[in-house]
Amino acid sequence: MSTPLVIFIIIVLLLILMYNSLISKKNQVENIFGSVDAMLKKRYDLIPNLVASVNKYMEHEKSLLQEVTQLRTQANKPNISEHETIALDAKMSSALGSIMIAVENYPELKANENIMHLQATLNEIEEQISAARRAYNQAVTEYNNTIEMIPTNFMANAMKYTRKEVFEIPQTQRENVNVKELLNA
Amino acid sequence: MKNISELTDFYYKVLYPDLQHLEQQRKELKKKITQAALGLTFVLLLIVGFLLSYNMPVEIFVFVGFGYISIGGFLYRYMTKEYTFDFKQKIIEPLIHAIDEQLSYSAQAYVPRHVFEHSDLFTSRIDRFRGNDYIQGKIDGIPIEFSDLHVEKKERTQKRQEYWHTIFKGLFIASEFNKKFHGKTVVLPDRAQNTFGDIFGHWLQSNNLHRDALVKMDSPEFEKEFVVYSTDQIEARYILSHSLMQRILNFKHKSKHPLYVSFIANRIYLAIYYDKDLFEPSVFRSLLEYKIAMEYIQTLHLAVGIIEELKLNKKLWSKQ
Repeated sequence: MSTPLVIFIIIVLLLILMYNSLISKKNQVENIFGSVDAMLKKRYDLIPNLVASVNKYMEHEKSLLQEVTQLRTQANKPNISEHETIALDAKMSSALGSIMIAVENYPELKANENIMHLQATLNEIEEQISAARRAYNQAVTEYNNTIEMIPTNFMANAMKYTRKEVFEIPQTQRENVNVKELLNA
Repeated sequence: MKNISELTDFYYKVLYPDLQHLEQQRKELKKKITQAALGLTFVLLLIVGFLLSYNMPVEIFVFVGFGYISIGGFLYRYMTKEYTFDFKQKIIEPLIHAIDEQLSYSAQAYVPRHVFEHSDLFTSRIDRFRGNDYIQGKIDGIPIEFSDLHVEKKERTQKRQEYWHTIFKGLFIASEFNKKFHGKTVVLPDRAQNTFGDIFGHWLQSNNLHRDALVKMDSPEFEKEFVVYSTDQIEARYILSHSLMQRILNFKHKSKHPLYVSFIANRIYLAIYYDKDLFEPSVFRSLLEYKIAMEYIQTLHLAVGIIEELKLNKKLWSKQ
């Protein structure tokens, strides 16, 4: 075999490898995003129940409850982008956190079995969402690295791949404090 | 659970009469063993001298060498048998009960082979499975079992000579995990990245055919010490929360030995590679020596302590 032919084959092989690695990184991100989305939906599905249970008692937090309901409506719209999902998740997490802290001011609520069960479920989902966020961030970091590093960046440019955004992991979650412990403190 | 200093007190106060008795036994045994070793070596020298004067082939010397080692080993085990039995009954067992009365101890038994295989920590074929010092019970309502294990496989050298290769030797612990999960997550010491550097090591790890997909964790400290493989990227992070990663790191630093951890079917398995038989009585050093005493106490405390150390007793809501 002539040398130019060998070089040509090697170049083609390298191009194929680069292309496949880009595709697999992109699919990994999409795949994990699908799981994140599913878990976020699971959390959104708890909201009507939560709002209905606390509505009677929480006079001063009406606006908070309205905000949560609104966020849920937004999140349930079809075809929202990854960027929007990430932004909505951040708002939702902080709003739910505030509600859970507010619950402490109402002894009837704290003792309510339904609320206790909701808190427990929410807590469990939070743990799962946190894990999914971390998995997503790792996949995005690997994807971003690949599209920005030489030599795959040339091909990524040609394929019009752009950087993706990661979830901000709040400091409280890094330390893995659960809502219950926070409230008891 | 008692802490280390309380256990040390227990060792030197409550067990003192037995220790003194055993110490006497040990001194006599040491004398006997030294005499036997001298006698055996004298016989060896006689045989070697005899062989030398007849110009025997090298193979015979190798054979005699093997005979010397195996007879020596056999004699040693035979002579220390009673002393070992007494030691385990009078020292190790009370020590375990002092840590927690609920725990049961058996000097002969060990963690069953299927439990070890189920942990999936070591993927090699197993040809010999031995162990001793089996401890089992509940701490804070969480079941735990652990024992000394020595797992080997038969290998051949290039000259087709058989020898035993150790797959694992050390402490093996099995307990229940506090979260529900479906997949399999394995945490192994990070050898490749430490030996071959980050890039090539990482490439080697991601192409490990015996293992599931590589999971890169978001804790640099943890990544430096361990490599994680899992059937599920998200579940691996659900199990290995930031706090658990930190606790595993602390545990690793406390034990000062290579640590293998796996999470399968709601159970956690830990293997600590000591490369020696644990909880065996010392023959050539005094049982009253602080360093020797601490070795028994610390190892036991470490094993029983994992439930508190890794907070396995703090159940998540879903498992209540």
